[in-house]
Amino acid sequence: MHTLTLSDPGEALRKAGVVYADYQAAKPVDPRVVAAMLPYMTERFANPASLHGPGDEATAALEDARARVARLIGAEPREIVFTGSATEATNLALIGYALRNRRKGDHVVVSEAEHISVFNVAKHLQKAGFRVTRVPLDLHGRVPLQKLRSRITDDTILVSVQWANNEIGSLQPIAEIAAMLEGTGIALHSDAVAAEGLVPIDVREVPVSLLSLSSNDLYGPRGVGALYVRSGVQLAPVILGGGQERGLRSGSEDVAGIVGMAAAADIAREEMAAEAERLRAIRDRLVERVLAEIPDAHLNGHPELRLPNNAHFRFDGVEGEAMVLSLRDHGVAAATGSACSSKTLEPSHTLIACGLLHEEAHGSLEFTFGRWSTDEDVDRIMAVLPGVVARLRSLSPLYRPKATGGPGAAPQATTATTKDAR
Amino acid sequence: MKSTQYSEKTLDHFRNPRNVGTLEGPDVAVGRVGNPTCGDLMDIYIRVKDDHIEDIRFQTFGCGSAVATSSMITELVKGMTLDEALKVTRADVADALDGLPPIKMHCSNLAADALHAAIRHWRDGVTVEEALAAAPAAPACGAPAGAAADGVATLDRFEGRGVYRRLDDPSQLAGQRVVVLDTGDEAARLAIDLTGHTGRVVLMTPGKEPAVSPAVRSALRLSDVKVLAEAEPLELLGEGELERIRVHDLAEDEEYELAADAFVVPG
Repeated sequence: MHTLTLSDPGEALRKAGVVYADYQAAKPVDPRVVAAMLPYMTERFANPASLHGPGDEATAALEDARARVARLIGAEPREIVFTGSATEATNLALIGYALRNRRKGDHVVVSEAEHISVFNVAKHLQKAGFRVTRVPLDLHGRVPLQKLRSRITDDTILVSVQWANNEIGSLQPIAEIAAMLEGTGIALHSDAVAAEGLVPIDVREVPVSLLSLSSNDLYGPRGVGALYVRSGVQLAPVILGGGQERGLRSGSEDVAGIVGMAAAADIAREEMAAEAERLRAIRDRLVERVLAEIPDAHLNGHPELRLPNNAHFRFDGVEGEAMVLSLRDHGVAAATGSACSSKTLEPSHTLIACGLLHEEAHGSLEFTFGRWSTDEDVDRIMAVLPGVVARLRSLSPLYRPKATGGPGAAPQATTATTKDAR
Repeated sequence: MKSTQYSEKTLDHFRNPRNVGTLEGPDVAVGRVGNPTCGDLMDIYIRVKDDHIEDIRFQTFGCGSAVATSSMITELVKGMTLDEALKVTRADVADALDGLPPIKMHCSNLAADALHAAIRHWRDGVTVEEALAAAPAAPACGAPAGAAADGVATLDRFEGRGVYRRLDDPSQLAGQRVVVLDTGDEAARLAIDLTGHTGRVVLMTPGKEPAVSPAVRSALRLSDVKVLAEAEPLELLGEGELERIRVHDLAEDEEYELAADAFVVPG
C-alpha cells in the first residue's frame, strides 16, 4: 500500500510566497479531513444500497456522517439530506418547497443580500408562475425586520434570508426573523454557507425550516453539500432517480465526500469558538491598520455584527479589479465586488442594495481570513496595500485627497508640466 | 476567458504605465471619456506642434485593461500627425497589447475614443478647462443654481415617510442613508451637519460640482459627504416608506436606482 504524505496548506502557501486572504471563495481541505476520507476511496468503496457486508459498512459510515453533520447545527440526523453542493441544497429547498406547497400560496420573499444562486433560483420560480418579492437592506446590508414584515402577504409560503452575507460579512437578524415567522405556516430558508464554521448555528434555538450547508466552507471537500429539512417540512425532489436520501436527492451517495464533510463538521464543532476569536483578532488588526494608514478608506458592512473573518473595504478613486491585479503582483490573493471582475459587468448587487453608488461599489476590496491565516499576513498585506492604493490613485483622474482638499490637491504624477486641470 | 487573464504586454502596461500625468499650455488639448459609474474614466492630454502629437499624457480610473489601453495608445501615437492618430482604432490598441479578454473589448477599451476626442477638441479650439467642464463658477449670493425637486414623481406620497423639506433636528436621521438634494449652500451645510449623525450622506447635484460658494465647497471636500454629481432624482420608490430613488445619470443619460432611507429637499 502506498503511504501518502499530506502537505500542510499553511506551509504550502508560505513556500509559494502567497498571502491567501480569499477564504470566502475557496478553502483548502483540512489534511485531517483528507485522512478521514482516504479509506472510503480505496478500501471502503461499497455502495450503501448494496445488501452485502461491505454495503452495510458503507451505510453505517453514511449514517454516522449524517449524525455528525446534524450535531454541528443541533439537528436530528434524519433532518439532514446530503447533496452535491450548497447550490443544489438551495435548489432543493426553494424549488422543492415551492412546488410541493403551491396549494398554500404562490408568493416567495427573498432578501436583497442573497447569494446570486438564490436570486437565480428565485427567477426560475418566477418563470414557473410564482411571485417573488425582494426585501431591501439597511446601510449595513442587514434585513430590517419591519421591511420584511411589510412584504408578507396571505399568499406568502416561503422566505429566504441568508445567515450571513458572503461579501460584506454582515450577520442577518435570522433569530428575530425565525421568531417572527414561527407559527405563521411560512417556511424560512437560510443559506448558511458564509456563516458555517464561523458563528454558532443551532436550529433548536433558531427555528428555521430549511438550511443550506456546504462542505468546503467547513474545510471539507468540494462537491458535497447538505440541506437541513425540519421534521414535518415537505419537499418535492428536484433530482430524480434511484430514490436515495429519502427520495429527495437521487444518485449514489459520495460516501468518501460525505465522510469528509462529517470530519470537517467535527473539527468545526470543536475548534470554532477558539478559531473565530483568533480570526477576529487578525481581522480587527487589518481593519484598524487600513483605516488608520490609508486615507479615504471605508469599511463596508456592519462594524460589529459581521463574520469574524471578513474585512470589506472601499477606497475612494480606485477601481477594485485594478487593486486585485496589483495585489496579485505582490503575492496577495484578495477579492473585489467590482463589475470589472464579473461576468455580467454589473457591480455587486449587495453593495448597491446597501446604498453605495456604482463608482463606490467598483472600488471594493474584500479580505477573508481562515484556518491558515496568521498575524504576519496582515503585516504583509499592509506592507503593500497602501502603496497599491496610492499608485492607482496617482493614475486616477477622480481622486482628490480630503486631507488637503481644494482643487490644487491633485495627486502628483510623473508629469512634464504638473498642474491640476480642474 | 477570465477577465483577469490578460496578456503579458497588457500586464506590463498596467504595472508600468507610460506617460502618466497631465499637460498644460496653449498647445494642449484633452479628451475625456467614460463615467465613474461604469467603473472607467479616462483623460488623454496631447501637446500639438506642427500638426503632430509632440507629447501625450493620461490619467485613468479603471480596471487593468483601462489603464493598459491608455498607456499603450500614448506610446502608439506619440509623434504621429493628427490625421494618422485619428486612424488608430480600439482594435489597433487591443492588437498592440496582444489582445484583450472579449468582455473587456467594449467596456474598457476607450483609449482611442479619448484620443480622438482630444484631437477634435484641439481642432475645434476647445480648451482643457472647457473640455473637462471645470466646476461651475460659484453662484452669486442668494442665487444658487442648484436642483429643483418639483418634477420628482411621488415626492408628496413619501412626505414624512422618508421625504423631508426641513430638518429641525438632524439627529432624527441617525443611522439612515440620507440623500440631500443640492439646492445651494444651505443644502450643503445641512449635508455636512448630517455627517455628525449618520455614516451615509449623499449630496445629489445635477451639475459637475455642487452649486455652492467657495467656502462651502472647501468644507464639503473635507467632510464625509459623498457628492453624487450629474444626477437628478426622477422618482421615489418604496413600500409604505421611501426605500429607493430612481436617479437620472445626466452624463450617460441612463437611469438607475439608489437605495436610501431619507430624501431631504431643503426648500
